[in-house]
Amino acid sequence: MRRLLRKRPALGMALLSGTATAVGIAISLAIDWFPDAASTASKDIDNLWDVLLIASVPVFVLVMSVALYSVFAWKVKPGDTSDGAPIHGHTKLEVVWVTIPFVMVTALALYGWVVLDDIEAKEKDPLIVNVTAQQFAWSFEYPALDKVKSNQLVLPKDRRVELRVKTKDVIHSFWVPEFRLKTDTVPGLTTKVRVTPNRLGRYDVVCAELCGIGHATMRQAVRVVPPGEFQGWVSERKQRAGDGGVAAAGGDTAVAGKTLFADTGCTACHTLADAGSEASAGPPLDDLTKDAAKFGKREGQSAEEYVKTAIEQPEAFVVPGFTKGTMPDNYKKNLSSAEISTLVKYLSDVSGKETK
Amino acid sequence: MTLATKLRGPGWYRAAISQPIAFLFAFGLVALVRSLYGWDPVVDWEAITTVALITMPLGFIVGIGCFDYWFRWAAGAPTVPEDHSGHGATKWQDYFKVNTDHKVIGIQYIVTTFIFFVIGGLTAMLIRAELAQPGTQFVDPNTYNGLFSVHASLMIFLFIIPVFAGIANFVIPLMIGAPDMAFPRLNALSFWMLPTAGVMMVASFFVEGGAFATGWTAYAPLSTEMPVGQQFFTLGVQFAGASSIATGLNFLVTIITMRAPGMTFWRMPLLVWANFTTSLLVVIATPFIAGSQFFVLLDRSLGTHFFDAGGGGDVLLYQHVFWFYSHPAVYIMMLPGFGIISEVISTHARKPVFGYRMMAFSLVAIVILGFTVWAHHMFVSGMSDWLRVPMMITTLLIAVPTGIKVFSWLATLWRGAIHLTTPMLFALGFITMFTLGGISGIMLGIIPVVIHVSDTYFIVAHIHYVLFGGSVFTIFAGIYHWFPKMTGRMYDESLGKVHFWLSFIFFNLTFGPMHFVGVDGMPRRVADYADEFATMNAFISVSSFFFGLSFLVFLYNMITSWRNGPKAAANPWRAHSIEWQVSSPPPIFNFDEIPTVVGGPYEYGVPGAVHAVFKEEGAPAKATPAPAGGGGAPPPGE
Amino acid sequence: MESASVALGRTHDEDQHDDHHGPPEANQSSRIDASLLGMFLFIISEIMLFGAFFTAYFFIRVVGDTEWPAPGEHLPVVVAGINTAILISSSFTMHWALEGARNENRAALRVGMLTTFLLGLTFLCIQINEYVFIGFAPADNAQGSIFYGLTGLHGAHVFVGLTLLAMATTRAFRGHFTAKEHRGVEVPGIYWHFVDVMWIVVYTVIYVI
Repeated sequence: MRRLLRKRPALGMALLSGTATAVGIAISLAIDWFPDAASTASKDIDNLWDVLLIASVPVFVLVMSVALYSVFAWKVKPGDTSDGAPIHGHTKLEVVWVTIPFVMVTALALYGWVVLDDIEAKEKDPLIVNVTAQQFAWSFEYPALDKVKSNQLVLPKDRRVELRVKTKDVIHSFWVPEFRLKTDTVPGLTTKVRVTPNRLGRYDVVCAELCGIGHATMRQAVRVVPPGEFQGWVSERKQRAGDGGVAAAGGDTAVAGKTLFADTGCTACHTLADAGSEASAGPPLDDLTKDAAKFGKREGQSAEEYVKTAIEQPEAFVVPGFTKGTMPDNYKKNLSSAEISTLVKYLSDVSGKETK
Repeated sequence: MTLATKLRGPGWYRAAISQPIAFLFAFGLVALVRSLYGWDPVVDWEAITTVALITMPLGFIVGIGCFDYWFRWAAGAPTVPEDHSGHGATKWQDYFKVNTDHKVIGIQYIVTTFIFFVIGGLTAMLIRAELAQPGTQFVDPNTYNGLFSVHASLMIFLFIIPVFAGIANFVIPLMIGAPDMAFPRLNALSFWMLPTAGVMMVASFFVEGGAFATGWTAYAPLSTEMPVGQQFFTLGVQFAGASSIATGLNFLVTIITMRAPGMTFWRMPLLVWANFTTSLLVVIATPFIAGSQFFVLLDRSLGTHFFDAGGGGDVLLYQHVFWFYSHPAVYIMMLPGFGIISEVISTHARKPVFGYRMMAFSLVAIVILGFTVWAHHMFVSGMSDWLRVPMMITTLLIAVPTGIKVFSWLATLWRGAIHLTTPMLFALGFITMFTLGGISGIMLGIIPVVIHVSDTYFIVAHIHYVLFGGSVFTIFAGIYHWFPKMTGRMYDESLGKVHFWLSFIFFNLTFGPMHFVGVDGMPRRVADYADEFATMNAFISVSSFFFGLSFLVFLYNMITSWRNGPKAAANPWRAHSIEWQVSSPPPIFNFDEIPTVVGGPYEYGVPGAVHAVFKEEGAPAKATPAPAGGGGAPPPGE
Repeated sequence: MESASVALGRTHDEDQHDDHHGPPEANQSSRIDASLLGMFLFIISEIMLFGAFFTAYFFIRVVGDTEWPAPGEHLPVVVAGINTAILISSSFTMHWALEGARNENRAALRVGMLTTFLLGLTFLCIQINEYVFIGFAPADNAQGSIFYGLTGLHGAHVFVGLTLLAMATTRAFRGHFTAKEHRGVEVPGIYWHFVDVMWIVVYTVIYVI
């Protein structure tokens, strides 16, 4: 190789960079870049990504091989006072390196455009879900299915879904990494995400736009389920609203409460040992019993009343050290009264309890 | 000097006494206005803070003496004839005064900005310490959000943008054969606005509710709702922006009206071209960020409805106005670096810059295209769908002029006589990492990819590859390259190389893995993250600490070399441009007589070629046919 | 290269010894005067600042498709029109003052400057008066916000312009400015013309359309 480089530098370099390109492309394609692909858009975007890698590696290798070759071939010792060759330019070469990148980026832009049109295509009769973001929780409503409300997003597999995303306060961003789709939630606007989930599983809705202190933990579950199960879930939701989810949990209020606590997104802001959550935007609920005794007494409330008020009217009293307005004030609307009692009971029971 | 004279004259005493006065004025004004209107409470601390954030910096700038000359002029009093007492520095204390010498201001800029670089770097270390493990360890989420917001704001507004202004301040007048900048007093004012802006941003940590915590982008309506710390950003940016505009304007006028005889536009060194184009961007674009922050200020302080959708305002307005500045700002942070790299590569590879004219044209092309791509930051923002594809195309087209630059640098290396000095190493490192940053930039121009990766760590990786691997490496290259000229002493070459290799390696180990966690689903600006990213983040944090330590090598080298380094020759790199034809450090007024430019700036390897001559030498260099340095120009026959 | 390297030693050494002499005269590499160019560039910057406010106006009125002015509100088009005429006429008196300076006509310079200043002041007073009686506040709605935003930004510029004019007027009465050296009138004058032209745009956009 050394001899080849010295004798026929052009050929040697071409061989070396050809090999480097091949290896580079192989490695970059072998890397598992993305999370699981769970929507039809995922495949399109992942393919586009691979094409970009294949186009990028040769460019990088070219730049590196010219730079390294120059350094090794024409490096001089300190004190050497010779000059390089007085080459001022080369018109043909310059035309080439204007044209080739131009063609490349134009082609990539066109390809990107095609993919964009594809993933955003409208289809007939999508399942519409209204998504509402607020500091720091997501809530979902299915307008065509008796306005079922939920704090986790459940979607049937292989059905086109149109998510209509709104916000109550600041900008958030609705993102499900496994779907590869994202849209900001903008005050005053309804933005849309069209998605066809095609892989069963439980994923996260992640807030991708900085929205305040609870931003990092503002995530809730998305479940992609078989269509049959979806129907079942819808009717179960209606029933849950009636009994607070106790029946679904086999009559166990503790289990029902824990599920509700997680599904409602309480975990995003509150630390509660029993639910395994660690977040500090809101007061730690392991201190809830203590707080209820301390602050509730002042207002003449029982512990349970104190907890209930804290959920339904969070503005009424804010634990010292925390900011008013951080906690959403629409749980009374989004949860049924049965669900709220389940939560209150659960919280009053587990607060301060050490997990085993 | 008695205390009374000290307090009357410009300087730190008067600046110090101005602060309580300015504060009391703000307090009184707010209290007065509020009591006149009958508002309750009369003492509203947010309002007082806001007004004080305007009066105190102004008080400081007046106190230190930036306005003395103008006040006299304005009053129509006879102006004091210029005795050049505010010129040059003979002892270190002189750097703490209002000085109109571009070389002193250049050093003031560079040292100040590096101080803010260190503060910004320390906030980065705290950020990485918090992110070393999932969960909350050192800081609560609010402080964390404050840390990364202050980090980005300092690095952008108090380091990268002004440090380039500092380097250019020192070098450009020398390079074009001017005795100083066109407006030396305005130049001093630009500098003194800078530390006030920086101190404001850092001070925000100490107010109720913590530092501004909305990122350096400060998106409304979050920024209109956050605690009072946000005002420190909103107003700090105004001072940094005003400083930036004044400097940009000053550079433009200097470059247009004060070039040495014979220095046509096509004979200007590329650093001059780069600063010319950058200054155009600054003058045209910066008012937009001022506008965006004015709207936030008005929404916060007067209850206007610019960003209140319920009151008829428009939330996306903020992003459009903000990015109309902040995308060009990316080029404000990059083009001067391009100029530095052209100087460094050409000088240390002993070759003319390949395709000089195309290099200049590509700068202009980037400036023009730079104004047409802002909405690529908003592909998932919910803005009008039709705007996306045109913005994608213009964004990708920027790769063409940028490609011209990278390829031309490579062609400049080709068949050179390459000296692997520290500035050259940083230039080579820059090319490597800027190419990577450029490639991820192309990916980020393509909408379907951005829909997935926007607001993830992939973005964090990309901007650090272009701003650290890109801009900051060019800054290091420039600092090492002109260190002998600025200080008159040589830096330690081996320490310089150690600094390069440490920062090159740990830079890549820190920011390389961020590409992977980003694509894999880790959002940015989070104090906590999913457990699956724990290993990667621990690795990134450890690398980042070593990366941070590598900076100490640089600091040590700079400080010891400045104090005790060997005396530098006037022209240690045997460069052709004019700043190297005067002593190191340059004489107090740069030149005894303005040189005459007789050829291109990079005629290395051309026998007998000279860029500029000093008339008094009587050298008949006029005979040189003076190639313009352009592409394919025949070497002058001598 | 050779000739240049010879040059080095000298420049520095000489400076060390005789510190009496100032910097060399800079080469004028362009026909345009530095302070005029500076003012033009500053005006470009100012136009962009107005541009940001016009963008806000565009988003609120056009993109947001709101009623203009807000329902139940009324803009005093005629009074503002008269005010516009006052401001435009101040541009002519400004020009008259500058011609006075150019022709060494001190009376024209002084009267011109004073009239310009007073006309500008009148404009500002009428504008403030309009704020007092217009019947809506910046916090009422977005239309109000941008109305006060644009006219207020312009008002601030009138104030800055008046300050500059006050300086120039003071100096004119103190006997400064000659046919050769009158940049102290010319540069504020350019700024004043800019403020006037910008008002025509603001007036058209806010009151007329």
